[in-house]
Amino acid sequence: MAGVARELPNGVRMGHGDGQVNGGGHDDGHREFVETWRDTAYGCFSSGHKFCRNVCPVMQVTRNENHSPTAFHANVVAMERGHLTVADVAEDYVHCTQCGACELRCPNTLMAGDFYRARTRTVDVVKAMRAFAVSQGVEQPNWSRWVEATVDAKNEPVLDVPVSQANVRDWAEDLGIPTGGSTLLFVDCEAAFYRTSLPRSVAQVLRTGGVEFGLMAEQWCCGGPALEMGYPEAARTLAEHNVADWRGCGAERIITLDPHDYISFTEDYPRWFGDDYDFEIVHVTELVAELVRDGKLTFTVPIERVATYHDPCRLNKRKGIHASPREILRAIPGLEFRDVDHVTQWSYCSGAGGGLMVEKPEITAAISAQRLEHAARLDVDLLVSACVWSERPLTTAGLEQDPQIEVRDLMELVAESLGLHTAGVRREAAQQ
Amino acid sequence: MSAPPISDALYDELVGILGAENVLVDKPARYNRTRVPAPFPVHRWDDHVPDVVVLPTTTDEVVEVVKLANRNRTPIVPRAAGTGLADGAVPLRHGILLDVKRMNRIRDIDMTDRTVTVQPGVNMLKLNEVLQPYGVFYPDNPASYPCSMVGGRIGTSGWSLIGARYGHTKDLVISLEVVLPTGKVIRVGGGAGGKVRKSSTALTLKELFFGHQGTLGIATEAVLELVPRPEAEFAAFFSYSDYDTAYRSCGALSKSGLATLAGVVLFDEWKLDYLRRDDEAYIEQPSDVRCVNAVALYGTDAEVVPAARRVMEIGHDTGGRYLGDEVSQGDWAARHDRYAIPLHGRLRSSGQVVPMSWHCEDAALNYSVLPQVREEWHAIADRYIEGYGIFDDWGMFAYTNGSHAPWGDYLVEIDIGIWEQKLDDENWAAWTRCKTEIAAVALKHGGSITACHGATRAGEVDLVPSELGGAFDVMKDIKRLLDPNNVMNPGKYLFDQAYE
Ligand SMILES: Cc1cc2nc3c(=O)[nH]c(=O)nc-3n(C[C@H](O)[C@H](O)[C@H](O)COP(=O)(O)OP(=O)(O)OC[C@H]3O[C@@H](n4cnc5c(N)ncnc54)[C@H](O)[C@@H]3O)c2cc1C
Ligand code: SF4
Repeated sequence: MAGVARELPNGVRMGHGDGQVNGGGHDDGHREFVETWRDTAYGCFSSGHKFCRNVCPVMQVTRNENHSPTAFHANVVAMERGHLTVADVAEDYVHCTQCGACELRCPNTLMAGDFYRARTRTVDVVKAMRAFAVSQGVEQPNWSRWVEATVDAKNEPVLDVPVSQANVRDWAEDLGIPTGGSTLLFVDCEAAFYRTSLPRSVAQVLRTGGVEFGLMAEQWCCGGPALEMGYPEAARTLAEHNVADWRGCGAERIITLDPHDYISFTEDYPRWFGDDYDFEIVHVTELVAELVRDGKLTFTVPIERVATYHDPCRLNKRKGIHASPREILRAIPGLEFRDVDHVTQWSYCSGAGGGLMVEKPEITAAISAQRLEHAARLDVDLLVSACVWSERPLTTAGLEQDPQIEVRDLMELVAESLGLHTAGVRREAAQQ
Repeated sequence: MSAPPISDALYDELVGILGAENVLVDKPARYNRTRVPAPFPVHRWDDHVPDVVVLPTTTDEVVEVVKLANRNRTPIVPRAAGTGLADGAVPLRHGILLDVKRMNRIRDIDMTDRTVTVQPGVNMLKLNEVLQPYGVFYPDNPASYPCSMVGGRIGTSGWSLIGARYGHTKDLVISLEVVLPTGKVIRVGGGAGGKVRKSSTALTLKELFFGHQGTLGIATEAVLELVPRPEAEFAAFFSYSDYDTAYRSCGALSKSGLATLAGVVLFDEWKLDYLRRDDEAYIEQPSDVRCVNAVALYGTDAEVVPAARRVMEIGHDTGGRYLGDEVSQGDWAARHDRYAIPLHGRLRSSGQVVPMSWHCEDAALNYSVLPQVREEWHAIADRYIEGYGIFDDWGMFAYTNGSHAPWGDYLVEIDIGIWEQKLDDENWAAWTRCKTEIAAVALKHGGSITACHGATRAGEVDLVPSELGGAFDVMKDIKRLLDPNNVMNPGKYLFDQAYE
């Protein structure tokens, strides 16, 4: 419905509870934290209707109210009142994939958001709590190891074998992609080391479509995972290197093939680097859809499969990108596409995001299994995703279905239908 | 982290029954199962925190936990979704909080006898997603449809937005399994408590287990009605320039005799003012739009198409102006989210926007008294707004209340915003006085304190004996009989008096 948004009178802000702060005995960090987040948290606490719960991927499988968006906000209020400390709650905040579904489903966003120029900010609260926990010395073991390894190797430890700067470009070995240029392809760690079939597909698809691009002189991890796990300084260091590298390369446009990087480059980097940060950031699905639309890419090889599409949370729920992947799928000949609309998919997730897979792999697996059950009900043999991080747990869950459901990245499918022979590894699938 | 407030022995016994992953003693687990969305005395949070949370998955586990509680005289409080607006799931005496969210199996979909059998932790929206391919649905449709659960619907005896057509929770639950406070398991419903809708064998016990707010036992399974998915859904919103015309029109619509009528909702002038002032989704209407009636029809095409014409005639003939398809269809489709938007209210003194919690008074009142009660309720709200500077009046709705009989009585709701951050003992006491006054008006006019949420809140609960008279004594006898040790949700409904 058409909203009639109006300014608040006299620039009035949402009020706050003065005179009742009782952080008794806590240090300044605690006080500063609750004062920063209290009003945001009260927006939910005072409502507390829990409409968000059924779309939360974690709640759907743990069914534990501790892991609900409602609790993530209420804890802040309880901390303000001196009932809870960050040590009490830190572990609960691991149980979030930062998919953003709860924010979209919240009636406070849907129905009152524009009016008050406010939306429910659960993802920010979760990120802030994780960072606050780390700052207070409350760390999660797997995350601290993960970030330490990332800082050491400049890339995430996505494989059991060492991941290093020396082989971050191995996937592109025979492709002759130049270094630098005005357009750069940023290849996520999971794609560069684990699922090399994806960057190889993307590179060749772009080339076929006439897009000129290069690679960074020295690509480091985008820093997003470190930030999501509560390590903003480590994340910032990685980001600073990347931006300096982009500048050194003369880059103006960055193509991402992973939605997580897309979030980092469009949300975190601009916040850190301010007005100087003037790169155009494109997600590859948007670009490829455009190339198809403009007739620069024409599919020739039919793909005789029955497929559905998995809306990656960060594309769909956080960035509103859901039309372009569907447009591409509908253009692929031979493919029978059984779609589930993007709003229904607010409650779908792979469970891989927000560091959950690193700290609680069993919950990720349960969420992925649930996602594949949705797919199985459509009688498909293929689940297409556009997020490399989702593809590992989804692939495992797909292999457990009977009959099995294969998981492919959209760009791999695009390459195949263009008749490109991309090679590269899709590990989980290959291991079976 | 601090030590849990239960003994090692109790903890070990619970773990023995449920496994460690289903016994939570951490503080966040307990603090987050202390409150429901109703205004909460945040300044007295500690008073309501349970000592331990258990998450059973089977009836047998519930039985063992209840027996343990009964043996040890430990209070035990069932909690489903925790969306109840009468504080039913708020522990008053600490103890064991039994959270049924992991009891979420759909056991049996019977398309021959048209029932679905579920555990109490199933949510209606999720259930209907599963039922969709079968061409049927479970029509318990409160505004909390996206979040509340079958167990809580039973515990509160809930009211459904489309109850005039399909009935409310007590009509839609055919039978149920209950674990009594002693651990004994019974089935209630027609006859043996199976799939029979109507029986005359002996006493009718089923309704006793609706609306008891977890004081008489824990529902562990329910057999629910399956209804054909409606082919047609029709909604019309009419506007009026004064309340009296809107009120008469509402009466005419609800007395139309149309069997597909799912509900009529009357918005008063305060509600329209509030929507104009603070609702983003409100579409700008001319200033002479002062009141609204919303009407909905559900059924087959053969029924709904002519009935819709009749509704339009009645609406026009009684002074209503149709607000158009966009408002009618959009607002009705958004009915779960649209009017449950507490978030913020305004202070009368400064107009300042502050985060406010939502109190929804929900009396059951006859049609004849709606105008009078409305004036008295708003006057009460006005006094408290002036006196305390933490309240806001968000207006009133009157919804048709009877199952399949929408003409005689209404669920009448006044929505009051409360600035929870400002609650201290004085403001909380004022608030409970306000509720007592509101409830007293309902009783004075021959109504009931509550049509759907329950009357377990501080403030109105004190008036329950005067509403029920001699029946309250029988209630106490029943409570003592079923719960000899007062372990089931103790402190609710003044049941302590049963043990004096
Ligand atoms: C935005 C919003 C809109 C609402 N709209 C409506 C509406 O239109 N109609 C309506 O009726 N209500 C409405 N409510 C109130 C609330 O949703 C209902 O009262 C609902 O029935 C509560 O269900 P629950 O699962 O949340 O129960 P809870 O709040 O967890 O529990 C409610 C009561 O039932 C008891 N209980 C829970 N589980 C069991 C069990 N297994 N066996 C026995 N007792 C049990 C609890 O002890 C408690 O006393 C609304 C609430 C909100 C927040
Ligand atoms: S996040 Fe939004 S939907 Fe969820 S409980 Fe809070 S206010 Fe309600």
